[in-house]
Amino acid sequence: MEVKYDSNPSPKKEPERTKTSSRKKGKASEKRLAYLLVAPSLILILLIAIWPVLQSFYYSLFDLRLNNPTKSEVTLTYHLDLEKYLNSYPFLINVLEDEAGKAKGSSAETLNGLIAELKEVDAGIQEDSAVKKQYQQVDDKLTNMEPVSEEVSSVKVDKSDALKLDKTLHKLTAEVKGLKGLKNEEDALGLSSSLNEAVIQPNFIGLEHYKNNLTDKRMWMAIWNTSAFTIVSVFIELVIGLAIAVLINKAFFGRGLVRATILIPWAIPTAVSAKMWQFLYDGQNGVVAHIFEKIGLVDNATDLLTTNLGAMFSIIFTDVWKTTPYMALLLLAGLQTISASFYEAASIDGASKWKQFTTITLPLLKSSILVALLFRTLDAFRVFDLVFVLTGGGPANSTETISILAYKRMFEQTNFGDGSALSVIVFVCVAVISMIFIKFLGRDLLTDR
Amino acid sequence: MNKKAGPLFYVFLAIFVFLVMFPFLWMLISSIKPINELFGDKAFTPFTSRPTLDNYISVFTNYPFLKYLWNSFVVSGITTLYTVLIASFTAYAIARLKFRGKTVILGLVLSVSMFPQIATISPIYILLKNIGLTNSYLGLIIPYTTITLPLSIWILVTFFRKIPFDLEEAAKMDGATLMQTYWKVILPLAVPGIFTTAILVFIAAWNEFLFALTINTEEKFKTVPVGIAMFEGQFTVPWGDITAATVIVTIPLVIMVLLFQRRIVSGLTSGAVKE
Repeated sequence: MEVKYDSNPSPKKEPERTKTSSRKKGKASEKRLAYLLVAPSLILILLIAIWPVLQSFYYSLFDLRLNNPTKSEVTLTYHLDLEKYLNSYPFLINVLEDEAGKAKGSSAETLNGLIAELKEVDAGIQEDSAVKKQYQQVDDKLTNMEPVSEEVSSVKVDKSDALKLDKTLHKLTAEVKGLKGLKNEEDALGLSSSLNEAVIQPNFIGLEHYKNNLTDKRMWMAIWNTSAFTIVSVFIELVIGLAIAVLINKAFFGRGLVRATILIPWAIPTAVSAKMWQFLYDGQNGVVAHIFEKIGLVDNATDLLTTNLGAMFSIIFTDVWKTTPYMALLLLAGLQTISASFYEAASIDGASKWKQFTTITLPLLKSSILVALLFRTLDAFRVFDLVFVLTGGGPANSTETISILAYKRMFEQTNFGDGSALSVIVFVCVAVISMIFIKFLGRDLLTDR
Repeated sequence: MNKKAGPLFYVFLAIFVFLVMFPFLWMLISSIKPINELFGDKAFTPFTSRPTLDNYISVFTNYPFLKYLWNSFVVSGITTLYTVLIASFTAYAIARLKFRGKTVILGLVLSVSMFPQIATISPIYILLKNIGLTNSYLGLIIPYTTITLPLSIWILVTFFRKIPFDLEEAAKMDGATLMQTYWKVILPLAVPGIFTTAILVFIAAWNEFLFALTINTEEKFKTVPVGIAMFEGQFTVPWGDITAATVIVTIPLVIMVLLFQRRIVSGLTSGAVKE
């Protein structure tokens, strides 16, 4: 991928400035055209890349769970689900009045007190004219057995009203339980709890998810796994890739074939190659596992995918197989730009091959190496498909990377708030890594030539 | 350095090619074995006396594999066409026109290409779910833009810069407008670069996994990588089917790589090295 850029790419000589108005117009129209041409890409990038990252951060501040109806959307204010409310409130009042009619003495008093309190809360909710209008609308629809749409059903209510309703219902539950011998105790309790569900509380929880995650052992384990995988695999890829690049940097028969060989592991979908390696690593029938056992790399063929160390080794080995050739290709391209005259001069001076490598090749290849390292490190840190398909993060979470953990939180536990917090953590890590590299690369990266 | 290749070099080369290709060769061998030879004693023999195409037939009859291939093809194809078109405008402007803010725009494109996908998935998923685009082609084409657009802009900017500026000047002298210059002069010369970019974008879209896994969960909208990763047998892992499916997706890739290797390499390394 291209990473160099010059701020003024035009080598052409600026034509003599004839300060006529047409010239100026031409420049202005060029600028306008340029912005017009750039605009679609910028808008797309803003919508599909920048907005989601910011939104992820926003989601991470909420207790957002897609499988929980009261927490499936982010909300900062108290809401009332009028459909649920009106499907419970009148019936609850009925049940309570019925019981109060049958009860005697203090029980009747308690029940009447509760009814009065509920009615007071209901009146409080209807005080707002906008709420009242919606309230009537939903009530009419329910009476006529018409379906109620979500927009009509959901209404914003005052915090005090919502809290009052909540408090009253808690009191009601406790007191109804205390009054032994109510005939319809179960009905009353059921209606009270579904009435309570009508109250949608704001699910803003601030930095709670971050606090939980940063004290969670599993999160640190995932960070450790990701870092270990990244450092070890990228290091091996660099060393082997550099060796291969140096060795094949010459004219030889069959270049095209070798180049194609190099490209195939890179081009095949990672998920498919992971599935393929799962077959090769299989403890019973996998040929690679069998070979590793024969040459004594592992004690037992089944160790590869069933032990912690074996699984991590398998993932790194597969990644090295898949991306070393690609690394070699990038470095080879860098090598080919080094002029042969440097080496000729060095050999005349009697410098050894190793000396030539360390004093000519490495320094001149520095920016190529750093660029290759930057992209490989970021890729490795984001690793998902390989681990997901090959080990699923197991055994015992020993290969669970941070992306896998975030995925599990979001799509297996449908906890999008927590998952988003984890994905923001991944984002911050990636940002820090790239900043470190860019600092090393310095001017080479964005302004060059 | 040593520019002559000796016999030892070719031995090294042969070993290297064999090691890289071994997994594929083994998949090819295993895919034509009868299912019982994949297990037990014969699991490690590199040949079979009774070659069969049963595994290949099973892939197409027991799974909607043709549908997976079609889905991948449609999604990757449309993604490629539309991103390369939009990216070519942007890359042209950045490489050839004068305006302020280029560094910022390229910096932005570079940063976006570094974004981890997982950091964008939750809002994109929730949005697509709310507007009913999960389990559709559009549901994948839209998020794929995050990956493919920065990639194509980067590669195309390098290619556009390589086109000589004299031609543009000449066109201007003859009174061509900027848009005419673009369509009639620059674009025809940029076709090889655009083609290279298209190949790389197509591969990137074809291989994408996380979005495909989470957004299109219905069988009839799955793409090939997700389809193969989710192959499941009734009692055991269907290794026979997996080997055959792997071979089926690898063969077109091998052909494509053999045909376009020069272009792919030039696209991959463009700009990664100082020229």
